[in-house]
Amino acid sequence: MWNSAKQRYRIFEIELADPLPEIAVPADCSGMAAVIRLRGTPVGFFMEPMRGPATLGSSELASRILRHAGKQIVSERIYREKKPLVAPARSPAIDIAICTHNRPDALAACLKSLFTTGEIHGPIRVLVIDNAPPDDRTREVAAAFPAVRYVLEPKPGLDFARNRAIEEAEGELLAFLDDDVTVDPGWLERLQDAWAANPDAGAFLGPILPMELETRAQIVFERMGGFGKSFERIRYGSTLPDVETYPVGAGIFGAGANMVFRLDVLRKLGGFDDALDTGAPLPGGGDLDMFYRVARAGYALVREPGMLVFHQHRREYGKLRRQMWTWGLGAMAYITKSWRAEPEQRRKIRQWVLWWLVYQMGKLLAPVLRRSSKRWPWDMVLAEIVGGIVGLCGEYVRSRRRVERLRRRFA
Amino acid sequence: MNWQDRWKPVSVELADPLEGLACEPGYAGIRTVFFWKGVALGHCWIAATQLPLAPQHLASIASGTVAQAVGDYLVAQGFQSALPGLPEPTPENAEGTLKSLLAIERPLAELNLEPEPKSGCESRTVSIVICTRERPDDLARCLASLEACTERPVEILVIDNAPQSDATRLAVERFPDVKYYCETQRGLSAARNAALAHAVGDIVAFIDDDAIAHPGWIGRVPHAFDDPEVMVVTGLVLPAELETPAQRIFEESYRFFHHGYRRRKFDVAYFARLKDKGVPVWSIGAGANMAIRRSAYEQGFRFDTRLGPGVFGGCGEDSEFWYRVLARGWSCVYDPSLCIYHHHRRELRDLRRLIFEYMKGHVAALILQFANHRRLGDLRRLLLALPLEYGMLLARLVASRFAVDNRILLRGAAGCFVGLGFAFRLHRTPDRAVAGQIRLPICSQAQPAEWNQNATNR
Repeated sequence: MWNSAKQRYRIFEIELADPLPEIAVPADCSGMAAVIRLRGTPVGFFMEPMRGPATLGSSELASRILRHAGKQIVSERIYREKKPLVAPARSPAIDIAICTHNRPDALAACLKSLFTTGEIHGPIRVLVIDNAPPDDRTREVAAAFPAVRYVLEPKPGLDFARNRAIEEAEGELLAFLDDDVTVDPGWLERLQDAWAANPDAGAFLGPILPMELETRAQIVFERMGGFGKSFERIRYGSTLPDVETYPVGAGIFGAGANMVFRLDVLRKLGGFDDALDTGAPLPGGGDLDMFYRVARAGYALVREPGMLVFHQHRREYGKLRRQMWTWGLGAMAYITKSWRAEPEQRRKIRQWVLWWLVYQMGKLLAPVLRRSSKRWPWDMVLAEIVGGIVGLCGEYVRSRRRVERLRRRFA
Repeated sequence: MNWQDRWKPVSVELADPLEGLACEPGYAGIRTVFFWKGVALGHCWIAATQLPLAPQHLASIASGTVAQAVGDYLVAQGFQSALPGLPEPTPENAEGTLKSLLAIERPLAELNLEPEPKSGCESRTVSIVICTRERPDDLARCLASLEACTERPVEILVIDNAPQSDATRLAVERFPDVKYYCETQRGLSAARNAALAHAVGDIVAFIDDDAIAHPGWIGRVPHAFDDPEVMVVTGLVLPAELETPAQRIFEESYRFFHHGYRRRKFDVAYFARLKDKGVPVWSIGAGANMAIRRSAYEQGFRFDTRLGPGVFGGCGEDSEFWYRVLARGWSCVYDPSLCIYHHHRRELRDLRRLIFEYMKGHVAALILQFANHRRLGDLRRLLLALPLEYGMLLARLVASRFAVDNRILLRGAAGCFVGLGFAFRLHRTPDRAVAGQIRLPICSQAQPAEWNQNATNR
């Protein structure tokens, strides 16, 4: 299935408050995906291959909705029923930082979507952090939106840009969006709701769904789990019963494409580690490291399903393979860092690394061992494993040295 | 896993306005069971680091925890629990189900779990039975919990099994409405048979002496039998305390009492589908909380006296009974609205012995089932599935570097081997409970005859 040349899935939006739509997969599509919502709140997502042209009958669609969203529908309604009325005394001041590097078109789409979420003025500010730009196009895009502040960060590296955002921000919350996402219209409002219910939380994370499934690479990535599509409303604390290694496996919280922190918490923790997320050769791990440190510092991390963004996945298969490699690399670089920083956590970290290796091996061997419906392309898994092993072999230390040189150059 | 931590079991009634959860000093966290009008819908573990918990956070946790059970009660289709050994059921009429699900704006408010006043149900009387042996304090606690129930049964029977002292009798004396019988033949099966022989209620509900009943337990028992096919109903067993490593290991690592919060019906079709693979009757429920129609006794159903605590087969008398019930075409139901709290063994030594007895009894029950019914499924479980399962568990034991909870597995494995010896005893010791052979319980010599008579008359 992975090798068939042309793959394309059509993504449908299903609003359960309306009558069920007709799902017609056009002839040029090889499958479908659907975002299921209940009065705007996402409650489920599913995708499946389907040879177009085809239609999904309403009873077939209903059974899929029940399977993929049934529990969440009930859960969402019980929450509405039992939730005590917390009238927010005020809205928080929010800075929304978009760190970008040479992607003006994606940035324009991101900004445009942000301005449809509500009134961006007063306490809601948008910051565009232009990271080591080769030209002026990003500045021009930012200038086209009146309420956007443009900040230039010459040191190349995502975490340099993120730390610059921490310096520039003035509000209570600092949101980070990747330039290749668009936000859902309810994003800002739901962030405010989540904050009203959890004013003490250190971080707010939301689900990340695919913006498009137009190529094999995008479909493969989403099939492998994508960015994690849990729609449960969870408040993570500093421990999690049943998960002994918590919070070492920081990927459960969310991802850097859609994350919001309390600014004072970020400042107290000293900002992002700029040796992680430096762009090539170590473009990852900074978000995980921050989630981990927020949890370790005793702050709650809140997952709010309504804070939905759509991410433009890599279109090219080769780039996806490289991304999986950097995922393994970034995760293990962050692990190495935590290992060095907190000796008392080492037992947990060792356990988690062991678990990770077994889990990845399981993915690799899944087609052989079990008649599992979940299949991961072996080259992707292998890329992640090799990345992880390289990450364990001193990548963090090498990165520190590189970053030190960079800093000297720009000082 | 740190088994030394103590956890506090707490109930939250969702029908009341939600208040936050407070910290319990000295506990690593609280195990919260969410109820709706007295029916348990789910539980979750909340660590002390998360406490105190504000009402809105409790609402968020509660909604995720109870959603599956609420969906099951409201629309059933798509939310039903898979039966042990079978795959998840696929919903029929998904479109209609989804429509009715979406029409329910306030799931809890529309959740009607009150027993319906149905004709025939009120006339169904209940006898409560506690079979006990030398545990007067536990027994008194259990009896007190029955007194605190909202409904009254037609009678409460205490069956004192082969007593060595009159402590049990004296404990019962403090409860004037409770009838006392003494069954001298040793074994829980003999005691249960005696109870069935003597009970006057249409339904005989058994509760273990080391458990306490939820206040709504007695009132709900007759309703569980609204379906005429149902011969046996088992219920939910929640931990009463999680104070010691033994209790936590029993609850979390072994999960013998975990059967979920959704009703399951085991019927003829279920039996027919699995009889060649081995019917996992031990997953139907727990004998600690089970009710049986008394008509079962009249139809000749007896607990096999070669199984159960007190005799060689240290357990399994309940599941072997359920096996015959299913084989004869009746149904068993697991109904989590019948809720009791069980005091697990506090000492690791006792837990080890218990696991040994459980596995010994399990193997003995499989042998007996095969001997009685000659279905290859039970042999398959005994010779294939069980060794395989234990192989995996032993691998886990090594992987966990002989963690304390996994070490107990060795006792279980030993129990399995010893249980095989049951095959040799099978024909030497006949079942003494065959219809007609059962003796009416008589008083042991230690007690004056008139006492027993008095108790019976009360």
